[in-house]
Amino acid sequence: MPESAQPRPGSESERSELDGSLLLVERTDSEINQAVLQPMLRGGRNFWILVAGLGAVVAWGLYAWGYLVTWGIGTTGKNRPVYWTLFITTFVFWVGISHAGTMISAVLRLLKVDWRRPITRGAEAMTSFALMMAALYPLIHLGRVWKFYWMIPYPNGRFMWPNFQSPLMWDLVAISTYLIGSTLYLYLALIPDMAMARDHTGGWRFQLYRALALGWRGTEAEWHKLHRALGIFSVAIIPIFLSVHSIVSWDFAVTIQPRWHSTIFAPYFVVGAIYSGLAALACILVIVRRGMRLGEFLRAEHFNALGKLVMVAGMLWTYFWFAGFLVEWYGNEPVTRELIQEEIAGRLAPLFYLQMAANLIPIGLLAFRRVRSTPRLLLLAGLSVNVGMYTERLLIVVGSLQRNDIPFNWGTYRPTWVEISIVAMTFAGFALLYILFSRIVPYVPVWEIKEGRLRYSLRRIGRLLVPTAAEIE
Amino acid sequence: MALFDEGTRTAEAIDELHALGIPADKMTVMSGVPYPERALGRQVEWLRLPYIVVAGAVAGLVFGLFLAVITPHLYRLDVGGHPTVSFAPAAVIIFVFTMLATIVSTFLGVLWEMNFPEFGPKYYHEEVTDGRLAVLVEPPDELATQARELLEKHTAHPVQLAEKKPL
Repeated sequence: MPESAQPRPGSESERSELDGSLLLVERTDSEINQAVLQPMLRGGRNFWILVAGLGAVVAWGLYAWGYLVTWGIGTTGKNRPVYWTLFITTFVFWVGISHAGTMISAVLRLLKVDWRRPITRGAEAMTSFALMMAALYPLIHLGRVWKFYWMIPYPNGRFMWPNFQSPLMWDLVAISTYLIGSTLYLYLALIPDMAMARDHTGGWRFQLYRALALGWRGTEAEWHKLHRALGIFSVAIIPIFLSVHSIVSWDFAVTIQPRWHSTIFAPYFVVGAIYSGLAALACILVIVRRGMRLGEFLRAEHFNALGKLVMVAGMLWTYFWFAGFLVEWYGNEPVTRELIQEEIAGRLAPLFYLQMAANLIPIGLLAFRRVRSTPRLLLLAGLSVNVGMYTERLLIVVGSLQRNDIPFNWGTYRPTWVEISIVAMTFAGFALLYILFSRIVPYVPVWEIKEGRLRYSLRRIGRLLVPTAAEIE
Repeated sequence: MALFDEGTRTAEAIDELHALGIPADKMTVMSGVPYPERALGRQVEWLRLPYIVVAGAVAGLVFGLFLAVITPHLYRLDVGGHPTVSFAPAAVIIFVFTMLATIVSTFLGVLWEMNFPEFGPKYYHEEVTDGRLAVLVEPPDELATQARELLEKHTAHPVQLAEKKPL
């Protein structure tokens, strides 16, 4: 019997109590492989109905985008002074969602937090797919999408060159960097599991996994190099993930638009991104756990820990929001005063109170262990946070732009069916990519789970038998 | 090739193979889970990866400098009251390109170090990903019998003639 599957000490009742611990006590390595692989191979009728439904929404969104390209940007609700609309709102939202992947995977890996193991891959995949959706919006927002290549620096006869002083270029390079970095990070940690899947499947899956495993055998040298590379990735990707949402925030803050021109915008955006990203991750894990029957791997202790992180991120968001709001309110500048008045008691009030309720109530709820540990309740809290954070971005982007320093230039904005369809397309596209990913790639990082088991043993402390981690590099 | 169920017996067998006179480079240990460095009594390989990463980061920094500081002079875009190049926006571009090159060089560097991709037939056993440890020994002819006996002494599984599998 392999070492990690050796019977642990303790009575039957003690071991059964530990079934919900980090160890997956009674499972052999082979059983763990099958427990992860089997849900991937099941594709029932409901799965295909879901895929077809999401595919239909994506197809409709593509039609709407084609309509926009054919008939021009006038098909959207964009007009003076609201030039940034649902597209930029949703762009900021998706960039925010992408932050939890790195937060979970890189930061917790560096800190050697063990409960991260079953959820890292889901988090990393979320980062990559959310960034893919985010990256569509600058293109859609251009309207004349075929002019996109003008942003790429290359010598040309027209002497046109991108302006690297422009935040538009910062966005391009920052998001491209984060997308490339997070996708490579996801793939690198996937290689050993691709080899595991290669060894246990046939047909097209075998060919796919064989290609993606790159010839992995699991030699000591390969493990050593992989570990070193993942360590470097974990360190290098943290400043990238901090910089990306900072740069997105500077798109706003470097303008002189009231309520945007703030030095606190970068950390405020980063914290908000972490808050919404962690909440989205919690929701996705609850759904995937049920859909793929991964309850053995994604357990109450993981949701409890993740729920605590969401709660702490929510508290930080509240602090940064208040710090920004207080200074603006004290400043009492005319346009800012008008905007605050609109939010507190004007046309924007429903959105403002929705934002505050949907963001603040979950923080209170997550203080209770029962809410954190019950997947259904955590899902509700996570959805609430994401509604709140989307509304926050809507207020920042659209709400603020409706008022400016030139009162005759004030205006309102109403989204059109084209914008709503395109936004729906990216939500459906994200879900579609994610569920296809979960059926093709081992959703739970098998080798990391086994590594965690290898490093743990059971130790008796008084009447308890507790998992104890070995301090090894 | 010998298959083992756990690390302690594997490490003992490797120690005895060393004592028998089989050099480290004639032994390969494969596992489905990363064992801590030196846990199996093997030397840790020296890596060039950190140097590759530093070289990549420097290249990214130079490229970022070129784009953010040099090219604006080649393709001038004069805006009233603004310098052609200023520190703050240039710093953003230089930072991002440095990090991009760091990440990409780490990825390419580790693939290069592992000699990946390598799809040809290689000595391997599928039970490695099911939790077994495989020890592949390529002894000189005069030590082959002793090495086989030594491995059989430590493992419950039959020692097999290693087989190359298409990976």
